[in-house]
Amino acid sequence: MFGDILFYRLCPRLRIENNPSLKSSSIEGKNRIRLGKRTKWIAAALIMLLITIGAGAYAQDYGKNEIVHFWVAVPAGEVKEAKIMRGAGPPVSLSPIQIDLNARGVLKNLIQPNVEALSTHWIYNLGQKPVRIQMELVNCSIPVKWEVNANFPYDPETHTFIQPLMPGKSIPNLGLDWIFDIPTYESTIQQGTEGLVYNGGLLLTNADTGERLTLIPIKIGYGQASFSSAAGCCD
Amino acid sequence: MKALNTIKVNKWRYISLIAGFFLLVAPFAFLSGTVLMAIGNQATADLHTFCFRMPLDWFFSGRFYMLIGSVAAYFILAVVLIAFVAGPVFCGWLCPVGSVSEATSRATPIPNKYRFKIKNPGVTSGLRYGFLFGFAAVAVIAAYKLAPQIGNVCCRYCASSVLQNLASGLFGNPDALGYWHSGAIIVLASWLLIGGIAFAGGRGWCLFFCPLGAVSNLAHKAGAKLGLYRTKFNKEKCRNCEKCEVNCPMWAIKEDKQVNTSLCISCKECTHACSNGAYSYQRGKSKDA
Repeated sequence: MFGDILFYRLCPRLRIENNPSLKSSSIEGKNRIRLGKRTKWIAAALIMLLITIGAGAYAQDYGKNEIVHFWVAVPAGEVKEAKIMRGAGPPVSLSPIQIDLNARGVLKNLIQPNVEALSTHWIYNLGQKPVRIQMELVNCSIPVKWEVNANFPYDPETHTFIQPLMPGKSIPNLGLDWIFDIPTYESTIQQGTEGLVYNGGLLLTNADTGERLTLIPIKIGYGQASFSSAAGCCD
Repeated sequence: MKALNTIKVNKWRYISLIAGFFLLVAPFAFLSGTVLMAIGNQATADLHTFCFRMPLDWFFSGRFYMLIGSVAAYFILAVVLIAFVAGPVFCGWLCPVGSVSEATSRATPIPNKYRFKIKNPGVTSGLRYGFLFGFAAVAVIAAYKLAPQIGNVCCRYCASSVLQNLASGLFGNPDALGYWHSGAIIVLASWLLIGGIAFAGGRGWCLFFCPLGAVSNLAHKAGAKLGLYRTKFNKEKCRNCEKCEVNCPMWAIKEDKQVNTSLCISCKECTHACSNGAYSYQRGKSKDA
């Protein structure tokens, strides 16, 4: 008897084959195992789905103040508030940029608080004429690196796209990053700017005529209070 | 000695993985550079030229117009088609993101018993496709601004971008290492430290956070069901030595030693590790698919 139990423990399939009454329960068991597997798969998938959505929420949260990506269009004048520009190309959303350094992610503030970046992949000509675009960060006294990669001829010395951009077109395959060296909060206090690191903007001009096409105001500071004290930079 | 033997039997794979790095990662980027030159594109070639994520983001969010004319979209289409016919060989034999984390894992002298591993490929597969569902859901939510609190995970958590910056920094452009945002720091930790070193096999990122890998494996699963190329297991030859399980970087060997096609990257590590020849890479219909 004990030997039988041990044998069947070791060989459950033989036990089922030798005892027809167990066959139906074996099918139930298999179904249960299959159901168990499916439940585990679904539970794992749901957990990861939630983690991914959570990661998206975190990305949205820190993305407001870290390597902010923005759209650029010419001619748009001075962008004093969020607006949608319509013209020769697709509609383009433009807005002034404010980066609150205190509201960046914990890891960023812990590991590398003294560098911040801005980025664009989209510069559109919404006007009616081709234009050679020159860019400038106005009122900028902190060190900033320009990193430009595009399928469009560009002069890094003058920050100018050498060829005219046709109406309705954008700079193809553009990756443009500005990397700012950020002074500490204490040094802004010493300089009397009360936490405001940069109060300027991205100015785009017609490289041939010098005409101002677009100014997107940019403010970088420690805390919202630093922005309220800042006057307009480039009037 | 054991490591040397592993290198010897898998030498072609490791040579291919090194070649993949030089073909796709700047400042070398020989393949992407050649493609850009051939189509007259003046942009500097780097790992982003064949972005592994953005075309999938456009696809899942229904922005098909963005796929037209995109070099990266054609690249992804080729990777998925090859995965359908021959298995995800891009993941197993070329992808620099996977190869760098796998190499980091192999170069770190921590025994496998101290590394994390999920023994149930079903759970691993659930987590992997859960991420893919999440990636697709977030792509839709972000593209159509359905929830303003949720942003895109596509570019904010990009291992290719981190690898490209590390490679540029290592090969003559230290400025590339000059900026790290929160997402990049999280990716560095989860791709190289957690996924690479703490996870057995060093492919944690590929397993849980790569949408291209997940889509390639869906294609591979479909192809395997139709009898196309895959790694097959012969039960009669198996001696239960478990070398296959130990060597599989993708945790794709099931308890019964069959290969889970949702995870297998056709790397042939199991084929080469098995001294009894229980695994073979072949096509033809059989019930194991």
